[in-house]
Amino acid sequence: MSLLRYRAGPLVWSGNILATCLLLFFFQKILWLVVPFILALVLHYLLAPLKLRLLLRGVSHDAAAAMVSVAAFLVCALPVVYGFPRLLGDVAGLHETLLRYIGGGIRLLTDVLSDLEARSAFLAESGARAMLETQLGGFFEHFTEKYLPGIVMGLMVWSPSLLLVPFIAFFMLRDGWRFRRLLLRAVPNAYFERSLALIDAVDRTARQYFVGLLQLTLLDTLCLAAGLWVIGIDGALMLGLLAAVLAWIPFVGSVIGCLLVVLVVATDFPGQPGVAYAAIGLFVAVRLLDDFVFMPVTVGKSLNMHPLVTVLMIFIGGAVAGVPGLMLVLPVLGVVMVLGESAGQLLTDPRLHARHAHAKALELRRVTRDLRID
Amino acid sequence: MKWHWLERGKGRAGHRLSGTALFSDLGERELRVVEAFAHERQFLPDEVVFDAGEDGQALYVVVSGRVAVIAEGAGDRPLAELVAGEFFGEMGLLDGAPRSAQIRALEPTTLVVLPRTEFDRLMVSHARIASCISLQLARHLGRRLRAMLEIAPAREAS
Repeated sequence: MSLLRYRAGPLVWSGNILATCLLLFFFQKILWLVVPFILALVLHYLLAPLKLRLLLRGVSHDAAAAMVSVAAFLVCALPVVYGFPRLLGDVAGLHETLLRYIGGGIRLLTDVLSDLEARSAFLAESGARAMLETQLGGFFEHFTEKYLPGIVMGLMVWSPSLLLVPFIAFFMLRDGWRFRRLLLRAVPNAYFERSLALIDAVDRTARQYFVGLLQLTLLDTLCLAAGLWVIGIDGALMLGLLAAVLAWIPFVGSVIGCLLVVLVVATDFPGQPGVAYAAIGLFVAVRLLDDFVFMPVTVGKSLNMHPLVTVLMIFIGGAVAGVPGLMLVLPVLGVVMVLGESAGQLLTDPRLHARHAHAKALELRRVTRDLRID
Repeated sequence: MKWHWLERGKGRAGHRLSGTALFSDLGERELRVVEAFAHERQFLPDEVVFDAGEDGQALYVVVSGRVAVIAEGAGDRPLAELVAGEFFGEMGLLDGAPRSAQIRALEPTTLVVLPRTEFDRLMVSHARIASCISLQLARHLGRRLRAMLEIAPAREAS
């Protein structure tokens, strides 16, 4: 019956970090299942408030889940059906478009290097521009034969598992509460209230992280799209969305997003490096906004972590499981921290153990009452 | 899959919470909503439901059986006994303070448990349920205060 507050010690912290690394390593091996599961979880968190509204109107869990899923399917299916012919046309011309934009990017780079070589004798002597032209030219000349089949095959391998997303999301919506009850039914009475708090905390952490990430993506998309539209770039919304989604990969994602936009700018505005510089400036500004304003009010709320730990864990995640590790390390660590602290709390509370032992003794007495040997 | 909303209701009396003080003003539909968020637990005679000093994470309603409220340091003599239809654990949810007493089952007891998150969710998002529960809680606390005021002069006199 102790009133002393439990605080996680170094042992729990080390256990949390080790468990996070092991989980990331394991997740990397079954990425085909982890990715659809996480996407389904995000979809479930987005649809859960709608299901809750129906529940509060007296609709049963099953019916509410079915109604919300059908509505979500219709909302997603209509634009796909409507835009499918256009999408097919775009895919047919994808290769040419890709090479055109890459060519534009190389042109911008060589222009910049030519400019620098004209100003610096050292750079002119090193022949950096010629070297870059030769190497990048060679890379993209064989890009179609070497890399494109691999990318297309990868997409084909991934598509079936991505088709699982709506199914998993539907069953999460329909049976999530049953699974929760099943878990809690297995918990002895002595640990029941703590387990309620633990399940709530895990659910809250994951929900806040993934919903926060979506809010962050929306804010990034709006800011980037507005900025790109002001600069005068076509397809500002699509580019903003693409760059914002790429930013899900910590550090590297933002750079890739920025490069993507610079490629588009260099192609659409040849000979105008000022526009490319403006786009880069926009990315830096949105990055700063992200780190200091958006992040703390969206994703930051979910993970009560020291910034240094966050950065270190991102590096560790990247080292253990590559790009998936970079993307998954923070939510996994957030959930593991909650589990670790709760496990520490449960395992170090002698009163709970005593109550559980007492309950077991009572049960034993009840079932053996008529089994005495005289 | 059962399409419950198409089914005829089983009637207010068919719900395990229909005879409880806290939910006495709720209609059949509201009871169904509350039950969708509740859990059921069975306790053996003499088993502890919760201890004084613990964080309150849930509200309990006695569906069958009997429990004793035991104050810390008062030995085994109960402050009160609660029977089917009564509820406890509401103070921890209202003011966030630790449990003020231990609760122990006196006979085989079935409790319906409404977790804190679900209780808060119902209070925030369902106006009718929130107003009914608030009214019953206010009545309950009023009765308890009156009882304490009646006991205090008697204690001083003795």
